[in-house]
Amino acid sequence: MTRFLARRSVHSAFALVGLIVAVFFLARLTGDPTNLFLPLDASLETRKEFAHKHGFDRPAIEQFWSFVKDMSHGDLGYSLRKQRPAMELVLEAYPTTLKLAGATMVIAIALAIVIGALAAYRPGGVFDRISGIASLAGASAPDFWVAITGILIFSVSLRWLPTSGVGGFPYWIMPITVLALRPFGLLVQVVRSSMLSALASAYVKTARAKGVSERTVIFVHALRNACLSIVTVAGDLTVGLINGAVIVETVFGWPGVGKLMIDSVIQRDFPIVQASIMLTATAIFLLNIAIDLIYVALDPRIRHQ
Amino acid sequence: MNGTYMHEKARMSSRLLYLPLYAGALALSMGFGGMFQAASAQNKTVTIVLSEEPEGLDGCNANRSSVGRVVKQNIVETLTEIDPKDGSITPRLALSWEKVNDTTWRFKLRQGVKFHDGAPFNAETATKAIHRTMDTSVKSGNARGTGGLDCETRTKSFGDLKIVGKPVDAYTLDIVANKAVPILPTRMGVVSLSSPNTPNDKLVLHPIGTGPYTFEKWVPGQEITLKRFDGYWGKKPEADGARYIWRKESAVRAAMVKVGEADIAPNIAVQDATDPSMDFSYPNSETTRLRIDVTQSPLNDRRVRLALNYAIDREALKTVLSNDVIPATQIVVPGISGHNPKLKPYPYDPEKAKKLLAEAKAAGVPVDKELEIIGRTNLYPNGTEHMEATMAMLQAVGFKVKMRMLEVAEWIDILTKPYAEDRGPVLLQGQHDNNNGDAVFSVFNKYACKGAQSVTCDEKLDALIAKASALSGDERRKTWEEALRRIHEDMVCDVFMYHMVGYSRVGKRVNFKPSISTNSEIHIAQVTFKK
Repeated sequence: MTRFLARRSVHSAFALVGLIVAVFFLARLTGDPTNLFLPLDASLETRKEFAHKHGFDRPAIEQFWSFVKDMSHGDLGYSLRKQRPAMELVLEAYPTTLKLAGATMVIAIALAIVIGALAAYRPGGVFDRISGIASLAGASAPDFWVAITGILIFSVSLRWLPTSGVGGFPYWIMPITVLALRPFGLLVQVVRSSMLSALASAYVKTARAKGVSERTVIFVHALRNACLSIVTVAGDLTVGLINGAVIVETVFGWPGVGKLMIDSVIQRDFPIVQASIMLTATAIFLLNIAIDLIYVALDPRIRHQ
Repeated sequence: MNGTYMHEKARMSSRLLYLPLYAGALALSMGFGGMFQAASAQNKTVTIVLSEEPEGLDGCNANRSSVGRVVKQNIVETLTEIDPKDGSITPRLALSWEKVNDTTWRFKLRQGVKFHDGAPFNAETATKAIHRTMDTSVKSGNARGTGGLDCETRTKSFGDLKIVGKPVDAYTLDIVANKAVPILPTRMGVVSLSSPNTPNDKLVLHPIGTGPYTFEKWVPGQEITLKRFDGYWGKKPEADGARYIWRKESAVRAAMVKVGEADIAPNIAVQDATDPSMDFSYPNSETTRLRIDVTQSPLNDRRVRLALNYAIDREALKTVLSNDVIPATQIVVPGISGHNPKLKPYPYDPEKAKKLLAEAKAAGVPVDKELEIIGRTNLYPNGTEHMEATMAMLQAVGFKVKMRMLEVAEWIDILTKPYAEDRGPVLLQGQHDNNNGDAVFSVFNKYACKGAQSVTCDEKLDALIAKASALSGDERRKTWEEALRRIHEDMVCDVFMYHMVGYSRVGKRVNFKPSISTNSEIHIAQVTFKK
């Protein structure tokens, strides 16, 4: 196990270094940020002076070495636009994204397992058909439309929920619901098909023949075997969310890393782009290692390989 | 066996089915009508929902609308102020002013004013504040944004004009420029004065000024709050404080005011301004146009440029934007000194456009060459649709036109010098904002040979710009009017579109009338509460 972890960490470190180099140079290929920082009416002289002062007129390779040197001291750059250290801004935004992603995935997975398992229990029945339609609708509904419609119905017309913002439990309901729809829809389909295969297998028939309770048959025998594919898909969906839920963060005013990253790309705020990609990439590598460990826990065969 | 199995199966199914219902009931039970309405009748804090989080709060960047709406005339104040009604200059921290000579103006300062940190406001501290905005002598040795501020006030409104303060006595200040500056009092309307204790070598996130409100806190990504300054020199404002929040989506901003979560949304899209009891339209000092690249064939032919103008049905195009916009004839809006009220928009006359094109073609102008409209995404609401409709109108009279929409960074590269050699005949979508009271802030940059965004170079126009810049009063205004006439009628450098309008939503518990200045500043002291 230790060797496995060490090997995965080394692979991840190499990939991270490659990503940092690629992001640094690709970001610079988008152009000099001077024009975006200065007002449109700034003179040519002012533009030149600004670019020179902040080193934007230096060759990209020179800028890269400065970046590496600063990074070796734990300094990931300073956002001129926000006037603060880039990593500080990213670390401030990241917990919001993690909380949103975590809550969303817990709810989506829990509901999907319950509904997917029930749908698989009586395939072709009324519940299966209704859950099939609902999950497909959830998986295909555009986030933006659902978010705005949700605000108009639940905040403006019914006045049940706040329109947006960060706060207590009511503030979480709409963002999580909107964000959970797609993972929920996809996971219901995955759970249903995995459970159908599992429930039709010989070991389930044997378990029932031995008089094992139905709850144990489903949640111990069938679900555990169906879990591998659920973990794979849920892991992939979680990776998407910890990259930032840009639309939900934008509409509901959640100060997460997705919105910060997109705004920084548009504004050529390179230090924030670099810091946020570095942090999200690290989080994704850690998540992938966690998924591998879950595989091992779920399937003893993997452990013995 | 089978009976037990079916019974257990049914019992479990019903239990599991209840789970989502429990979750839903719990969720909805947490929120009920009215409990999120932050802006209650007793609460005297004004909540303003902006479209974006400010990038900083330093007074020397107050010219940037996202910053100005929070700090300008609320936290930091200026010596003079531009009256949004007619563009005239009124006193603020200066009581009066007079011209000493071409390069020097003398300001009498208001007495009994103090900064929020207790420092007195006088000629000496005002000098330091001006120096902080204008100084470029402190050079940066690193990329930390320290060492010489990139103050937007200086880079946007002063260019190569440099000013320094020279105290005459405690409350008399001479401001001396490096060249003749006939409208210095107007220019001082954009220089926000910060406390002398504000560091000179870095932008601050905690601004200290003399205004009616002090900075309280900034929770990044969430809110900024101000509270009333009890030591303010002027009338005590009614609002105890202000809370700024931001939402990118116009529909959300409008909804927040509608349900009482916010009091003022200074900027909402026209399609969200659906409640006449809360929504206001106001001229927002922006002018839209297509900049014609007159250096490129066939756009270097005046007949072709006139044809472009006659091909546009501005009344019909209004429906894409708003019925409140006004067809434009020049780069500055009415109310700005130098605006020429005599100019008339080119009428929609497709036959005349076709005739002009035919004449140009007969004279050997390659009118069949493909033109390119280059637009910018999200420049203004429905800007893409506006360009699509414009392209269709140009094609209808015989122009070959294609269109490309760019992100802001790529668009700026085309807007500003140096221009690419192989750029081709481009019609560039643009929007320009001038609420600084004088045409000088627009015309040089957009049309002079040395203007950073100019594609024209006309000796007569340059002479008019130089002459107007050195004059004052009526003569100055008339000279600017003549310059703007030359641009519109003789040179035909643009397809002017509209003087634009903004839409604000104001909640039912407050009184606030949006004006041309709402685009860049919101005076909390002017907000009152309904009884």
